[in-house]
Amino acid sequence: MSEQRHVTIVMIEDDEGHARLIERNIRRAGISNEIRHFSDGASALHYLENDHSGPALNGPALVLLDLNLPDMSGIDILSRVKSNERLKRTPVVVLTTTDDKVEIQRCYDLGCNVYITKPVNYESFADAIRQLGLFLSVIQVPEVEGNG
Amino acid sequence: MTAEPRFLAIRSERAFNAIVVGIVALGFLTLVGVGAYGISVMRENIIFTRWVAHTYEVKGAISDFLINDERTETARRGYLLSHDTVFSDSVATTSARAGRTLLTIQQLTIDSPVQQANVARMRALVAQQQQAIQVSMAFARGGYSDTSNFYHDAGVDATRQIRALAEQMSEQENNKLRVRESGEQATVDRLIVVAAISSLLLIFLAIGSVWVILRYTRQLNTSQRELATLNAGLEDQVATRTADLRRANDEIQRFAYIVSHDLRSPLVNVMGFTSELEAAAKPLTTLLERAEAEAPQIVTPEAASAVRSDLPESIGFIRTSTQKMDRLINAILQLSRQGRRVLTPEPLEMNRVLQTVTDNLAHRSSELGAQITVEPGLPMVVSDRLALEQIFSNLVENALKYLQPGRPGRVEIGGRRQGVRVVYEVKDNGRGIDPKDHDRVFDLFRRAGTQDQPGEGIGLAHVRALAYRLGGTVTCQSALDQGATFRVSLPARLNAEGPVS
Repeated sequence: MSEQRHVTIVMIEDDEGHARLIERNIRRAGISNEIRHFSDGASALHYLENDHSGPALNGPALVLLDLNLPDMSGIDILSRVKSNERLKRTPVVVLTTTDDKVEIQRCYDLGCNVYITKPVNYESFADAIRQLGLFLSVIQVPEVEGNG
Repeated sequence: MTAEPRFLAIRSERAFNAIVVGIVALGFLTLVGVGAYGISVMRENIIFTRWVAHTYEVKGAISDFLINDERTETARRGYLLSHDTVFSDSVATTSARAGRTLLTIQQLTIDSPVQQANVARMRALVAQQQQAIQVSMAFARGGYSDTSNFYHDAGVDATRQIRALAEQMSEQENNKLRVRESGEQATVDRLIVVAAISSLLLIFLAIGSVWVILRYTRQLNTSQRELATLNAGLEDQVATRTADLRRANDEIQRFAYIVSHDLRSPLVNVMGFTSELEAAAKPLTTLLERAEAEAPQIVTPEAASAVRSDLPESIGFIRTSTQKMDRLINAILQLSRQGRRVLTPEPLEMNRVLQTVTDNLAHRSSELGAQITVEPGLPMVVSDRLALEQIFSNLVENALKYLQPGRPGRVEIGGRRQGVRVVYEVKDNGRGIDPKDHDRVFDLFRRAGTQDQPGEGIGLAHVRALAYRLGGTVTCQSALDQGATFRVSLPARLNAEGPVS
């Protein structure tokens, strides 16, 4: 478990409320990993690709991605992450309101690891996030290559 | 050519055509008039001719009379010279013949008082002559001794007078003949004029008619060509409109989809934080209970009622409202999803499709004690199975939902073919719909009548959207407490469409 502590959860979510609810429920599931929250695509991408503490240059990470962002589509971020040599093994969990079949297929085609539809019913939502927390506690995240 | 001058051109052309047709019709009427006039002139001519013939007849009779009279005189002289009885016989026959002829003349000239008078005079002269003849002949036979009469023979004088009178009568007839012949000539002249006018008119009419026919034919050809062009244009227009409609429809679908998604996001927050509030209320309640037990003086009634009733009540309202909103958004989403689905037309045995629908609702209907009947031998249709199942399922479900309490429910499904379309009916004996609500019931989130059944007002909106997509319509016929009939009219053959982008 101690190793998991280093995995940073990168949450890309433009809705502050959703972000807060997700964070609360992850914490309630007993996950204490650092959660970095970005509410737009550009700053999230900058962090992922260029930041010194970001996953490309440092430490393993897990991305929670919302598809509806103000400045770009979550699909673009997903394809950028999955086409980046250093980031492509980083697990991406798409967490969004869209339950369109075509959209879901596209995400998996692009290399998304898990696709979760945010249920409107809060109990289900909280349940889903807590289960995601359980999932995060057992998931093995690859180390970034060429990194000490 | 723009529409307005074109319209004017058509109008002036029409006026012109009307004038031409009017002139031609007038020409024909004149021709008929001229013909009638010609007939009357002809009749006049016939009368004149008859009169001329009559005059000739009279003249003939007069000369006949004169000849016989002369012969009588000649025969008398012959007798007087030869005493031959042949001559005396001849006198008798010719004078008798002359008398008959004079009678004929009298009859023929019954219309002419002058000639009648002449005939009377003639008769007197003939009597005079006869007497002279009798006297002279008796003398010649030797029966008469008195020769004075012989030498003063009145016969010669009478004969001369008869001759003069006959000439006068003949002249009289000649006068008549001149008048009648000139009249006849005049009618003939008139006939010639009439014939000439008719011929001219005929020529003009023929030219006019041919011209009108040519003109019409040319116009007809032109309009036929224009019609063909227009027809082709129309098809293009229909195709353009259809594309426009489809694009508009797609846009609405996309809009509904985006809206429903974007509405969902804040809703997640409202519901989530409501739950958080509810959760937060629990420790507050515990705190309140502890305070009441340990330090009742710090508990105000406001605080107690806020925690115990205001907070849960508010949270309850927020919750039911957000749940309702969630259902509405889901309905829009479902509609938009239905609109995005690609239709796959296939030949459908409607009785089988409806069997599936009623089987699925059999449990509901037996619970309600209602009976669903499907008319056997419904017309087939080539359409989308899922859409049709949805349409009829919603309609039958609706019928079961709004039964009249106390009346055993009956739902009848029928159908017939109407040209290139098929019409299916779902008829119930339920509570019915007020005619003023007939349009409203098809609107999304709108319902009619007593609101005693659960529902969001989605079913019929869905039915209409699906019917439209299938190229059909759905109408309602009902009155309050009279049951309702929903009529779905569909093209018998739905054309496969390209996927909606």
